[in-house]
Formats: sequence, structure tokens, C-alpha cells
Amino acid sequence: MGSAKTQSGPRASLTGLPVRRYLGVVVVGALVAAMPLLITGSDSRYVLKILTFVGINTLIVTGLALLFGYAGQVSLGHAAFYGLGAYTSAYVTATLGWPFLAGVAASIAGTALGGVALALPSLRLKGHYLAMATLAFGEIMRIAFVEAAPITGGPDGFSGIPFASIGSFAFDTPARVYWLAWGATALALLISWNIVSGRPGRSMLALHGSELGALASGVDLVGLKVRVFTISAVFAGVAGSLYAHTVGFVSPSTFSLHLSVILVAMAVLGGTRSLAGPAAAAILLTLVSSPDVVLPALPRETLEVIQDWEADVYGLVIILVILFLPDGLSGAARRLSARVRGARSGPGDTA
Amino acid sequence: MGAPELLQFALAGLKNGSIYALVALGFTIVYASTGVINFAQGEFVMLGGMLSVWAYADLGLPLPLAGLVGVLATACVGIVFELLAIRPRKDGDPLALIIITVGGSMLLSSLARHAFGPTERALPRFSEGSIQILGASLERQSLWIMGIAAIAVGVLSLMYSRTRFGKAMRACAIDRNAARLVGIDPKWMVTVSFALAAALGGLAGLVTTPLTQTAFNVGPSFGVKGFAAAILGGLGNPFAAVVGGLVLGMLESLSVAFISSTYKDAISLVVLLLMLFVRPQGLLGRGKREKV
Amino acid sequence: MSLLEVRELTRRFGGLTAVDQVSFDVHEGEIKAIIGPNGAGKSTLFNCLTGFDRPDEGTVSFGGDDLVGMRPDRVVRAGVARTFQNTQLFEEMTAHENVMVGTHATTSAGFAAYALRLPHTAREERLSAEEADRLLRLVGLEEWRDAPAADMPHGLRRLLEIARALATGPRLMLLDEPAAGLNSTETGALATALYRIRDHGATLVVVEHDMGLVMEVSDEIVVLDRGAKIAEGPPRLIQKDPLVITAYLGEEESDDDA
Repeated sequence: MGSAKTQSGPRASLTGLPVRRYLGVVVVGALVAAMPLLITGSDSRYVLKILTFVGINTLIVTGLALLFGYAGQVSLGHAAFYGLGAYTSAYVTATLGWPFLAGVAASIAGTALGGVALALPSLRLKGHYLAMATLAFGEIMRIAFVEAAPITGGPDGFSGIPFASIGSFAFDTPARVYWLAWGATALALLISWNIVSGRPGRSMLALHGSELGALASGVDLVGLKVRVFTISAVFAGVAGSLYAHTVGFVSPSTFSLHLSVILVAMAVLGGTRSLAGPAAAAILLTLVSSPDVVLPALPRETLEVIQDWEADVYGLVIILVILFLPDGLSGAARRLSARVRGARSGPGDTA
Repeated sequence: MGAPELLQFALAGLKNGSIYALVALGFTIVYASTGVINFAQGEFVMLGGMLSVWAYADLGLPLPLAGLVGVLATACVGIVFELLAIRPRKDGDPLALIIITVGGSMLLSSLARHAFGPTERALPRFSEGSIQILGASLERQSLWIMGIAAIAVGVLSLMYSRTRFGKAMRACAIDRNAARLVGIDPKWMVTVSFALAAALGGLAGLVTTPLTQTAFNVGPSFGVKGFAAAILGGLGNPFAAVVGGLVLGMLESLSVAFISSTYKDAISLVVLLLMLFVRPQGLLGRGKREKV
Repeated sequence: MSLLEVRELTRRFGGLTAVDQVSFDVHEGEIKAIIGPNGAGKSTLFNCLTGFDRPDEGTVSFGGDDLVGMRPDRVVRAGVARTFQNTQLFEEMTAHENVMVGTHATTSAGFAAYALRLPHTAREERLSAEEADRLLRLVGLEEWRDAPAADMPHGLRRLLEIARALATGPRLMLLDEPAAGLNSTETGALATALYRIRDHGATLVVVEHDMGLVMEVSDEIVVLDRGAKIAEGPPRLIQKDPLVITAYLGEEESDDDA
């Protein structure tokens, strides 16, 4: 049985990935970690800053990979959790003067609460209703960010957010901020991998596959949906906290429906049953808006044209991927590797 | 608050409600034929306004003709969108189609920005001035809005009751494949429903642009309000969509009258969430149990 | 004492009474068949027993637990597993993964434990995987272990769903038309599987159209007609029951080819 699915997430046991995949993870991880040392030159600050945003987006999209790619649930409100995390952390550190880690903890608590509060009543809602409920939640939060001016600074935004710091160590250089963001993202990926490669991951795929079948297998769908939704909200919240401390300034216009849709585009392009796919898609699509990071020689006019058409690209990517690559980059990669393996072992290969 | 002021708010509610009803009808029609919420419905409203402004200001057509061009062109966009983005997904998986409409929403608004620019654009009022009713004043344009919405609803209900297509639509609301029973290919049913939904949205955009102006990014807010209206009445039932639109318009007006205009936009969002959480079948819908 | 006690169960849809005052018992270790013409209310009855639907009246008592109003996943955990007339498999998951999901009813490690890779998660994974392999062998699907459910032929999909239900560790299994769409060879294999399952200690309730299979495997038969129970007893008595013959007269011919 030359199944195309043999190397995907839940198939791998807890005890081990194939050595080849470990190697891949280590190489990519080392490359990401070494990036600040490899990037030199006059615009290295700018490049590192963009790459930090890439990491932050990857963190959010990892949460969406669990929610969408594994559990098959759509959220159009993740920008709101991102914002909730950012404002919470900003308030706790800048206004209350508490340390950075307290800000992160508050962001986690706040977005977890928000996630549960939205997920619980949404449970009996089927796909499109959940999508609409999350969209409405996102818009309400955006209004709240604007109207709660005494806390959030209103439409002018929240400024004067300190750099992240742990004890006396401040994340005050582009490289340090980069490492912090990608460290958090790596941790989220590790946690997610542990989750999807075992019982919870199978439950999520079962929910995606057939709700009736999952119920008949004793899967607690209520608990499952709340948990997945909450985890993905918390990932977005932590990303928001990192964003606030990276930029030092938070404005409500950042956390728009537009951003939520872009995040969905990343999750969709990344594909189902995969963490690496969505991470790659997050990196790819974030760099679409700053292609000069990869191509420093890009003329300014070209850059502006690309940025001008960014939203069209995102919209088009969503439609084209769903139509022609329904399981996204990860599905394409699975098919490709199955074909390569098939070619190597020959047609007579059976399980 | 005196009677004239209350009436004033009620009239404003009725006017906005008429627009929401048109948008809600668009949601309902597409939902009946596909089982999908079309997240690009708000963009049809935006396009109706934008394309009418384009026909009027850029092509120099007289206003009535420009409006007709705007609405028909929007309907064409609806058809093209269905043919290029919805139909190729043959399995009709609702989750996939919803995400496609989300992408379509972003694409359409962005293309509109490229085509018509980032600034707000307006149309002249269909008639200037206002009339007095029992001490309240009502702009003539509001009369146009209510009148055109009423005519659209009337034409639509005639179509539902008199034509084969209408019967197929009603059958579809019960069972999506029922269109076959009256000899209509469900594939074309979907295309026509997108055309109708786009035309209704475009009409809403056309009539409201003289009062509120329009811009490439107004779509989502119309979409949310129209959907809130549809879900308030009960998704899938055209009559309920109209009722939901009017009720939502009134609720908004009352909130402006008694609370504050700050939260006018939040009203529809709150209504939407409450309905989804408490009574997803809508005010006029019957409770239904999932069948196994 | 009986394992399952159904008392005066009634379910109405609008003006239609789909299940009408139905009572019966299921004893430990027996195979009980529920038969009846199309529209007799068999599937509705099943849904009411398993938490997928809620009866308007009546009680369902299972080993002391009241199943009425219990969520489907709780019913499964209480020891009642079911299959569906239209199989509800996880199409993109392999046969082995499908059955492993069934073991979730008996395992408990959650998100936090897995996120932190606590030692007992590895143990549960191993036990789940072994149990799934054992059950695949029991229903004769070990060769299909790593095939996606979507790639399996119809008859085997039913066996896979039975294996998944078995994985929940049930004391009572409800099978909704397990032979529907199977050819005679496949039906024979199914009968063998059913006996094997009973020998492993599970009690079975089978809704079935295939009279041959019903007469062969069941110890007791309940006959429903238009929602009400019209007969109950061992197969040889049911075959002669005039009420049953009347109820089936119009159906039998058209049903034989099914």
C-alpha cells in the first residue's frame, strides 16, 4: 500500500521521526537561528525587523494550522486575538509598569479567556456560522480597541511600550528581538507538533473528517473545539505581545479584518495536516509585502507596484489554492515525495 | 423625546433597513442554492456604487442609465465570479466555497481600488430636497431608497411565485438538488443566484451612494449588516430577510436615539452574535434538529 | 438482568410518530435484530438509543445509566458503540488511524499532557496502536492498515467502522444495517465477524434488512411497523407470525434484490 500519507503528522509515533526529517528540522532551525549572524550590511536592521515580523506571523499561522488545517474550523477573527494580546501586554508593561513576562502571561490569560468565551457559544455552529461569528467578534474587538481610549489610546494608538526584557537582559537590538520572536515560534511549533502527532491530533482530524463519526468514537467534540480554538487564540495573543514589544507602538488599524483574511490565506496556502506547510506559507506571504528583503536589488518602483497589488495577490492565492491545490503546499509536498519514493522503489512495491 | 423626533429616527431606520434587506436577500438567495454564505456579498454593494459612479462621472451617462449600467455590471461581476471561482470547485464543499468567497471579497475590493482609486466617490441625489411628514423631515433620496427596495422585493416575490426559476429556488431552500425536479440544472441555478444576489447588492450600493458616498473598502461593513439582517430574520427565507433588514435598521436607529451614535455599527455585530449563539434559525425560522 | 432496558420510547416529528411506545430488553451476550419495513422507525430508534436524537417520552436504561439526553460521546464512553447506515469514516485517515480514534473513548491523556510529552502519553499511544492492530486483525483488515479509508471498497469500509466501534470498548454494539450494499460473500464475512465479536463478549443489536442474515445470526428479533413494536421473539417464531407476514407482504419482493 504505497500510501501518500505515510509521513504526515499523526502517522509518526511519539517515539520518533524518521532521521531524515530530524535532520531537516535541525538544518532549518540552525539556519533560522543563525540568520542575524549571516545578515550584515547597512540595511541589516531593516531586514532583521521584517524577518521578526515573519516569525510573529508564523506563530499566529501555526495556531491557525491547528484550527484550520487539522480541525477544519475557520476563524476570520484572529486579528482580534493578536490585538488583544498586543494591547494587554502593552497595558500591563507600559501603564502598570510590570515586567515583560507578566505582560506575556496576561496576554495568554486574556486571549485564553477570549478564546473560550467565543468558542463555547459557537460550538453548535457549523463552518460558515463559526466563520461569521469570529468575523463579528473581530469587528467588535476593533471597535473596542478604538473606543476604550483610556486603556488603549483610542484611534491614535498606544505608544511607549518598552522592549521585552527578562531580568536585566533586554531584547533591545534587532538580533535579540529576532531571536525572541523566533524562539517563541519554535516553542509553539514544538508544542503543536507534540499535540498533532498524538491523540489530540487524531481527534482533530476526526472532527474534520466526520463529526458524526467522531462522536460515535467517543470524541468529546465540545471540549476538543474549545481547546483547539483557545490554543490558536493564545498563539495569536503571544504573537501580539511580541509585536507590541517589537514595535513599541500599537494602533487599532493593524488588527483589521484585512489581516484576519491574510492570515487565513497563509493557513490555506500552507495546507492541511501539516505544520511545516503553513509555516512556509507564512514566511512566503509575509515576504510578498517586503520582497526587497530577499531581493535587495529590486528597484524602488517595482517594489511599490508589488506592494500596491499585495491584497490582490492574497485574495487570488486563496481562490487559486482552494480550487487547484486544495490541500495546499503540504499536500503538494506529500504528493511529490510519494511520487519520488514510488519512482525509487518501483511499481512492484507493496506494503 | 417628542413624537416627531421618534418618527425621524423610525424613518431613518426604515431607510437603512431597506438597504440591509436588499443585501440580506442576496445572502439568502446564494445560501438557498449553494448552502454557502457569500462573504463577498458586501463587495457587490460596493461595486454597485462604484460602477454607477464610473458610468455617471467617467462615461458621462445620464444618472438613470448610469445606475442601470452599474447594477447590470455588478450582476455580470457576480456571474463571472461564480463561473471562475465557485463552479470549478465541483464537489461544492461548503468550507472550501466559503473560503473562496472570503478570498473573492478581498480580491474584488482590491481590484476596485486599482480601477477606481482609493478615494471616496459620490453620486448626485436622484431628487434633491426633502418632504415633511408629521413634523419629521425625510430626504427625497430616502424615499427613492425605500421605493426601489420595495419594488425589488415585489419583483423578486413575483418571480418566486410565478416563474419556473422561482419554484426551483423555493424547492432549493428545502433541498438543494430539488431544482432538478422542475427541470433546472442546479449548476445554472447557482450562477443565476449569484447574478441575482450581485444585482440586489449592486442596487443597494446604487441607491445609498448619493447619501453616504462609497469607496473600495465599504464592502465588509455592508456584508456584516446584511448578514446580520439575514440571520435575524432566518437564513434561507426571503421574506424573513426583508423583515430582518427592517428590524435591524430600526434597532440601529433606536440605539442612536436612546444610547449613542458611537455604537451604531456595533449594534449589528452584537445582534449577529446574539442570534448565532441563541437562535441561529432566526426570529421567523423554525427550530430544526440535525438529522443523522 | 438485562443489559439494556428500553421502555415506552416515543419520538415524534411534527405530526408523525416515528417511534411509538417501543419497549424491549437486550440481554448480555445475545444478538438482537430489529427489523421492519422501510420507514418503520428503526434508524430513529437507534438515534434515540445513542444520544444522536432525543426521545419525546420513555426511558433507556443501560446497566443502571439513563441514556436519554446523554451526549453521543458520553453514551459511547458509557459502553454503547454504534455504526451508521451511511458509514461515517475519517476518509483521509488510514484504517489504522480510524480505529485508533475509536480507542480515544478509553484513553484520557489530553492536550496539556501531549504538549509536554508526559511519559504516559507514549504509553497510551503504544497501547492504542496495538489495540487498533488487534481489532484490524479481528475483522480481517490487517492488510489495509495503512490505506486511507477513502481508498477502501464498500464492504470493507463497513468492517472498518465496526472495528472502530469495537475500539471504544463497548459492552453493547448497535449496528445500523451492516449488510446494506454488501454482496453475498461480503455478507458471509460479516456474519463471521459478528459471531467473533459476540464471542469476544460484546452484546449486539442489529438493524437489518437482509432477512437471511437476520435469521442466521440473531437470537431474538424485534419487529417494528410504522414506529410500533408488533412482534418479538426467536427467529423461527417470528417467521410464522401472521402480523409480521402482513407487515412485510408488500415489501418482501422488492427487498430481496437489495
